[in-house]
Amino acid sequence: MSSAATTPPSVDKVDGFSRKSVRKAKQKRSQSSSQFRSQGKPIELTPLPLLKDVPAPEQPELFLKKLQQCCTVFDFMDTLSDLKMKEYKRSTLNELVDYVTVSRGYLTEQAYPDVVKMVSYNIFRTLPPSDSNEFDPEEDEPTLEASWPHLQLVYEFFIRFLESQEFQPSIAKKYIDQKFVLQLLELFDSEDPRERDYLKTVLHRIYGKFLGLRAFIRKQINNIFLRFVYETEHFNGVAELLEILGSIINGFALPLKAEHKQFLVKVLIPLHTVRSLSLFHAQLAYCIVQFLEKDPALTEPVIRGLLKFWPKTCSQKEVMFLGELEEILDVIEPTQFVKIQEPLFRQISRCVSSPHFQVAERALYYWNNEYIMSLIEENSSVILPIMFASLYRISKEHWNPAIVALVYNVLKAFMEMNSTLFDELTATYKSDRQREKKKEKEREDLWKKLEDLELKRGLRSDGIIPT
Amino acid sequence: MDAFKLMKELRANYEQEGYYIPKETGLNLIESTEQNGSGISAKCRDAQVEDLWGLSSFFGYSTQTFVLAVNLLDRFLALMRVQPKHLSCVGLSCLHLAAQRSEPDAMLSSGHELIRIGQRRFTASDLSRMEKIVAEKLHFTSSAVTPLTFLHLYHQVALGQSPSRKEVLSLEKLEAQLKACLRCMSFSKAKPSVLALALLRHEIKAIQSEDMLEMTCHVQRHLKIADGELQYWGERVARCLSDYASPRCSRPNHRKLLWVVSRRTAQNLQSSSCCAPDLPTIPEGGWDPSQSEDSSEDLSSGEESLSSSLEGEGGYFPLHLRRRR
Repeated sequence: MSSAATTPPSVDKVDGFSRKSVRKAKQKRSQSSSQFRSQGKPIELTPLPLLKDVPAPEQPELFLKKLQQCCTVFDFMDTLSDLKMKEYKRSTLNELVDYVTVSRGYLTEQAYPDVVKMVSYNIFRTLPPSDSNEFDPEEDEPTLEASWPHLQLVYEFFIRFLESQEFQPSIAKKYIDQKFVLQLLELFDSEDPRERDYLKTVLHRIYGKFLGLRAFIRKQINNIFLRFVYETEHFNGVAELLEILGSIINGFALPLKAEHKQFLVKVLIPLHTVRSLSLFHAQLAYCIVQFLEKDPALTEPVIRGLLKFWPKTCSQKEVMFLGELEEILDVIEPTQFVKIQEPLFRQISRCVSSPHFQVAERALYYWNNEYIMSLIEENSSVILPIMFASLYRISKEHWNPAIVALVYNVLKAFMEMNSTLFDELTATYKSDRQREKKKEKEREDLWKKLEDLELKRGLRSDGIIPT
Repeated sequence: MDAFKLMKELRANYEQEGYYIPKETGLNLIESTEQNGSGISAKCRDAQVEDLWGLSSFFGYSTQTFVLAVNLLDRFLALMRVQPKHLSCVGLSCLHLAAQRSEPDAMLSSGHELIRIGQRRFTASDLSRMEKIVAEKLHFTSSAVTPLTFLHLYHQVALGQSPSRKEVLSLEKLEAQLKACLRCMSFSKAKPSVLALALLRHEIKAIQSEDMLEMTCHVQRHLKIADGELQYWGERVARCLSDYASPRCSRPNHRKLLWVVSRRTAQNLQSSSCCAPDLPTIPEGGWDPSQSEDSSEDLSSGEESLSSSLEGEGGYFPLHLRRRR
């Protein structure tokens, strides 16, 4: 059911660069699905009495009947069809949500498979393909799920069901099994952020209650991430999965299992290399910091990993990395700091001299952090020589005056920390520069001599090269 | 310069130096003033000189500029009653004056730049007015006789016949030591010739060169510098330099520096600091079913859940793993 002819994309030029969002002048394809194609005739559901109107012993059976009715799915793309029935289903679902929240004794063994069936029918579907490869999660509006009025209530219902006091995982595990979880995970690729938010809560509860499924869930999440990083670079639910992982990491027992450490090094760190990092960076950074709070000995591999993947051409990412690094340094132990200070400050020294002023600014701002300053102070004899040359150079050469002012702050801090070393380095720097200038001059003189020779040679009529 | 000329030069400067020493009564007044009183105290002056040292290092000014600036500052403060709120303007104008005299044009930074980097509150016109006042009061025209003048001369004398000694007796090191001494107000009372000689002797003793020490005695006799005076300042110098060389980091009570960042970075900093997720922690190895009601309670940040999720085989989470902020 794709819509009418597309208009040619109009390109709006701003400062000579076309704006991507304006390029999407063509209309979005509708989310049709083969789920609905077989329903040629209108759907008829016999209205059932309200649960509150029925005496208590009859309620469980009515509950099951209503669940059965809610298994019917409606096509929301066709805005005119089955309006009355859609409204009926919506109010039924609403009723079910309330019922599950307040009732006692409604959850019989038979209810479990019916609940799972109803939820599966409604939510498990093939997601429509994303509009195009050009979907930029940061700029473009996501395509929202059309059947959200029903879907939302189904999710709400399922969550209350899982959180209900009467819920027994031992019964439920027959129906909420690996297949169910797998389908659930696939839904995380939905473009609708509201759906992903609900899915996040659902999976979180399932992970919490079903101990037998935990290893499987972790493994599947690994697979998703690895595929994301190394194959497709497309998955919409990374941030939500990372949030769940954050709460899992927070609960790790010490000493950490080898499996978890592997996960950190093989999956979380490579996640930093993806182009769309900005969408889930906050959650990723949180996970990393939680790992380090659990086991400080992991600091060295983490920082080395970050340095290995340090962005070389994307300044926006560099700023993110610097932010994450500062959060790590906020919790680092002094003994760990000493192990990685040299490669770390070599990278910071490069960032500080970056011509991109935001990168330089973010790096220089580290010196405003009291804890980092105390670490630097303790190790100034190692760190100052690494930082000195670039700081001194950019104080003279950087194009941005605000950066120059910040460099002054940093140099002043160093001067106060260790005046003798600072003076020594200044003297060495100056004499190095003089030596370099001398060499340059010598080289220029040499070229000049060669030029003169060349001229002289040109004047000889026989063209023989003088030896 | 040959030895004879050097000695003559020394003599000439020695006779001049009296004009360039700050008034003693003025210096005493400063030393006796209490901190946070209505006048300038020694600590204020020292802090200002520290600042000037920072700025002259940053801009790459020569030692000459710095020493001259301190000399102007001390002389002015000893002469005039300056209010503490004007001290930073006085200091910066001394530095600017000194830079204009001693630095080549290419190295010179404008008054605007000095004010901006030094994070001062006054304007460029304030600065130039103050410069005029200082120059006028001190009858300052081109230069002054400072300890550095003597230091350079003494150094040449000490090298004497063998310029290869330059490796051993480094002028840069002596200059750095002089700068370190000048940051302490007590040295402003010293006569430049004596201070420089004391410094030189201190360094020569450190490198243990007997014949250079001989040279310094020769100079001392030539200028008729009293033993007692030289001894007195020698001790002070030794104490000051041992502090300077110590690995212990000192943080004098300096002004808190201003960190101004661009709007985008400021936004970035704000948003990244609030990121604790709102999903409760799931302890590994066990989830007590009776705890399922907790899921509605907000156990947001990691720290709280660390101490509250001790049930089951969750394990013990040491409290020292808390985030330090």
